[in-house]
Amino acid sequence: MGSITLTNVQKSYGAVHVLHDINLDIRAGEFVVFVGPSGCGKSTLLRVIAGLEKITGGELAIDGKRVNEVSAADRGLAMVFQSYALYPHMSVRQNLAFGLENSGMPKAEIAERIGEAARMLEIEQYMERRPGQLSGGQRQRVAIGRAIVRRPTAFLLDEPLSNLDAELRVSTRAEIAALHDRLKSTMIYVTHDQVEAMTLANRIVVMRAGKIEQVGAPLDLYNNPANRFVAGFIGAPHMNFIEGDVVESTGGTVVIKAANGEQFTAPVPLNGVTTGERLSVGIRPQHMGLSETGRGLPAKVRLVEALGSETVIHAEALGQKLLAIVPGQRHLSAGEAITLAYDGAPIHVFGANGQRVN
Amino acid sequence: MSQSQPATRPLAPAPKMSAASLALMPVHFIMGLADKPLRALQKAAGIGGMATFFLAPNMLIFSIFVLLPIIINIVYSLTGGTAIFLNERTFVGTDQYAHIFNCSNYLDPRSCQEDAFWTAVGNTFWFVVIQVTLLIVCSLITALILNRDLMARSFWRAVFFFPVLLSPVVVGLIWRWILQRQGLLNYILYPFGHDPVTWLSDRTVAFAAAVGVSIWAHMGFYTLILLAGLQAIPKDLYEAAEMDGTRAMRVFRRITLPLLMPNLLVVVVLALIKAVQVFDEVYVLTGGGPGTATQFLTQYIYETGFVSQPRNAGLAAAASILMGLVLVVLTLIQLGISKRNENKGKR
Repeated sequence: MGSITLTNVQKSYGAVHVLHDINLDIRAGEFVVFVGPSGCGKSTLLRVIAGLEKITGGELAIDGKRVNEVSAADRGLAMVFQSYALYPHMSVRQNLAFGLENSGMPKAEIAERIGEAARMLEIEQYMERRPGQLSGGQRQRVAIGRAIVRRPTAFLLDEPLSNLDAELRVSTRAEIAALHDRLKSTMIYVTHDQVEAMTLANRIVVMRAGKIEQVGAPLDLYNNPANRFVAGFIGAPHMNFIEGDVVESTGGTVVIKAANGEQFTAPVPLNGVTTGERLSVGIRPQHMGLSETGRGLPAKVRLVEALGSETVIHAEALGQKLLAIVPGQRHLSAGEAITLAYDGAPIHVFGANGQRVN
Repeated sequence: MSQSQPATRPLAPAPKMSAASLALMPVHFIMGLADKPLRALQKAAGIGGMATFFLAPNMLIFSIFVLLPIIINIVYSLTGGTAIFLNERTFVGTDQYAHIFNCSNYLDPRSCQEDAFWTAVGNTFWFVVIQVTLLIVCSLITALILNRDLMARSFWRAVFFFPVLLSPVVVGLIWRWILQRQGLLNYILYPFGHDPVTWLSDRTVAFAAAVGVSIWAHMGFYTLILLAGLQAIPKDLYEAAEMDGTRAMRVFRRITLPLLMPNLLVVVVLALIKAVQVFDEVYVLTGGGPGTATQFLTQYIYETGFVSQPRNAGLAAAASILMGLVLVVLTLIQLGISKRNENKGKR
């Protein structure tokens, strides 16, 4: 129970198209995270699934049944809002009970469900308080509790951690993951934070401008991004991109010429590229190191961030900014000449249209 | 960049003559003139003295036009006779109040010596009860409708607010022209076979017209306050309720109404205060008639003090003090409510 299928789903407000032909198959019990920059349509997509927004094209099915015309209440889904949307004039208990009372559920069952959710979320001692008397983290639990008591086919969570401070966010993230393991329900989670996406998801849906850019398991997206956007979005700090025109591509290497005229050799076999074609070669900062042998890319240090366990080097090479993260503590100073090593690093090459070519 | 930038920015940008600065020139001129004497004054009087200096004009106006009349009114209520000037009036103590409260049966206003006062009180009471109830219900319904995604919403809001901007006399005249024997209503009804009716000569119709017209004239103001309250309720509370399949009536009763309650209380008390003071529109519309059917307390005070022969300023003053006491109580309630709301906001 809890599979959700979207077929060519579209949403537009007048002439403004917010979602273009979304195709997605969410399996029962899966934890799916929609991630993307602000305004990419991820929240709209969630609201469309919830039934708070009507879709203007395509089909939405829950457990194989078309629900386009089914009201939000009858879809059997529960939503956790970014603002929590707790009723400020009701106690925690009344907040939890409100939705259940609508359906005329017997009082004893309501009490039992509330008790169970309160125990699970450890909010039993706050049951008679109002939301205004709770901390952000406690409100967040109540909001999740209100979803749990409904025993929905799927949970929809709209940036549920964005109003919490950094520390609480990490611990609540772990609790949400634990909750998913325990309830085994389908969960759809919207965030703009790719760390949340990487840590929580079974599968990540990366969105941009109302379109799905790529769907896949977190490490698949990290290791094999389908295009430049996904490559840049997933992973922190962002992937380095070296832009240039192809000079030659032979056997196992491709040589490109950067805008400042210098050449860069990438050890990656490429087929079907023509001389003069524009390419972006992507290498993650974590996969760049300091060369001990002098082989590699000559660069100049711009800025050094010493984090203790690792050192982030902002460097400039080929007239472009590059980042390298090296383990341990390195004593470097701005302006120093270094050589960046990328031997054996996974190399991602993207064409002029942004699509992966290797 | 072709040119090197100077190390520091110029201290002030080149002065530009805009329309705004041009308009402010006389202000700057006057401020320049006042600057020196004010500085000298502050040196002499200190900060506290300056506060007194700036507050004095307002306090003076308040004293002359508000405080002093209240005191004079209290004094008048303790005097008798028909003379206008206080020095010619005789001191009678609380006789005027005793006169008002001199009734052989307190349950029957007609048994009172000053039955016109009690008739006016009775009329005002029923006016307040009916007008405020209907006013709140109408304002709430209008606010709820205007809060939805309507076509031309701003236009409709303006339409409902517009009567508030009219002078009460204009409101009274408009409706008299509609309701009089040769009025618009009869003109419209005539083709349908209705003989012209003198609407305002019927006691019930006149009273209903007084209530209806004052609702029409004031509704926009209360609608606006309630609309502001409705818009302050977060939208996602309604979405959460929608996800839970809450029926519209239950959403209204359990979410909208409780969250609107602070605004609703303010509106009720403001409307009560305003309704007790009812006078101008109704006076222009019906003149208090037919008979005394629409004679309210303010009109009684006005007529007793200024119109009736002989004028009875003492009695009118006593009546207005009694009415003032009712208004003070209502105002205190209103202040209490706003204070409570403020404290709630702080939490």
